[in-house]
Amino acid sequence: MATNTINLSPIHSTSSLRLLSSRSSQNAPTLSFYSHPKPSLTFPSISLKSKNPTKPRSFTTITSAHKDLKETELIAVPPLPDEVNGKFPSDAGVYAVYDNKEELQFIGISRDIAASVTVHLKSVPELCSAVKVGVVDEPDRAALTQAWKSWMEEHIKASGKIPPGNETGNVTWVRQPPKKKPDLRLTPGRHVQLTVPLEELIDRLVKENKVVAFIKGSRSAPMCGFSQRVVGILEGEGVDYESVDVLDEEYNYGLRETLKKYSNWPTFPQIFVNGELVGGCDILTSMYEKGELAPLVKK
Amino acid sequence: MGSRVVVTRANRIKAKLQSALEATALEIDDVSYQHAGHAAVRASTAEGQTETHFNVKIVSPKFDGQSLLKRHRLVYDALADELHSGLHALSIVANTPQEAEAKAKTQNPIPNK
Repeated sequence: MATNTINLSPIHSTSSLRLLSSRSSQNAPTLSFYSHPKPSLTFPSISLKSKNPTKPRSFTTITSAHKDLKETELIAVPPLPDEVNGKFPSDAGVYAVYDNKEELQFIGISRDIAASVTVHLKSVPELCSAVKVGVVDEPDRAALTQAWKSWMEEHIKASGKIPPGNETGNVTWVRQPPKKKPDLRLTPGRHVQLTVPLEELIDRLVKENKVVAFIKGSRSAPMCGFSQRVVGILEGEGVDYESVDVLDEEYNYGLRETLKKYSNWPTFPQIFVNGELVGGCDILTSMYEKGELAPLVKK
Repeated sequence: MGSRVVVTRANRIKAKLQSALEATALEIDDVSYQHAGHAAVRASTAEGQTETHFNVKIVSPKFDGQSLLKRHRLVYDALADELHSGLHALSIVANTPQEAEAKAKTQNPIPNK
């Protein structure tokens, strides 16, 4: 898949490289390069150069068609986030962040480099000592991605390493997806003798939690389309809900049959609000579409 | 299809809903193929049950004054035997005759010529 390897068809570089081709694809990390600030990639294309053709460029290290990473000069990051705007361009382009040992930490692209650097400086000041900047003219997504790839490729070729901030799972520099709650388990394990009947555990669970969804699969990876839709609706509405995987044979052993009897409802998913069965996927969907869900599940 | 007399689950569902709920309109779609891969279904498939998921559209006067939950329960009650013998899931659209009529009007407005 495209996310596993960086398949390069370089425009700027001289040799055609296929990065990480020596590694097996399972080990090849997914590289992330979209940085924090929301305005990234939603701004219309702005080119400082063409807009103010007579204005002398104040950023001497910046080239319009960005240079190689190696040839680009390091610009020291000012200590205060407020001063970043004067030193870095609010243009689109690629940027590389270095720590105080001049170790490359992260290569990112942005619609507004100054804004991105400001965000990084606020969140991880200890890693933001200096930055290299390459403004990209006519910065459509493809051009920005290409610029990012060429710097990544150059760095990996020279150092043999992926910048730590670009490695899979590193969320220091990029927006992290909201954390999902774990699914609830009803029992300590299949082979542990229950002191309380499963039915009572279900009863407590749905009464002690405002919204409980019994689904097939986990909330992060539902294994049935109906459960998937239920999770989608609840998350889309921002509902703080608990989920229980009825297919978990280790920690929810026997749950499916017991729950069917408890609720007198023969199918899954099942959604409970305030201890009462609301219904399955169809009913939840219908309530959602009629706007009846939000008032019911709000705190 | 026409002359073959095969008692499919779809036919049984239809007959049961018809008699139990006095349905004035009834559509049954076997959509099991859409769910053929998922974990819980594999066991049933192994037992030779391939009719596991259905879409049911039903119009019945018995739904009058009933909540969605109660309407679905009426459908499930009528199909209890099927649910105990490998029927996994139903997608149910349950309307009263009045609702069905109102919906038909808004969805397919017939221009007066």
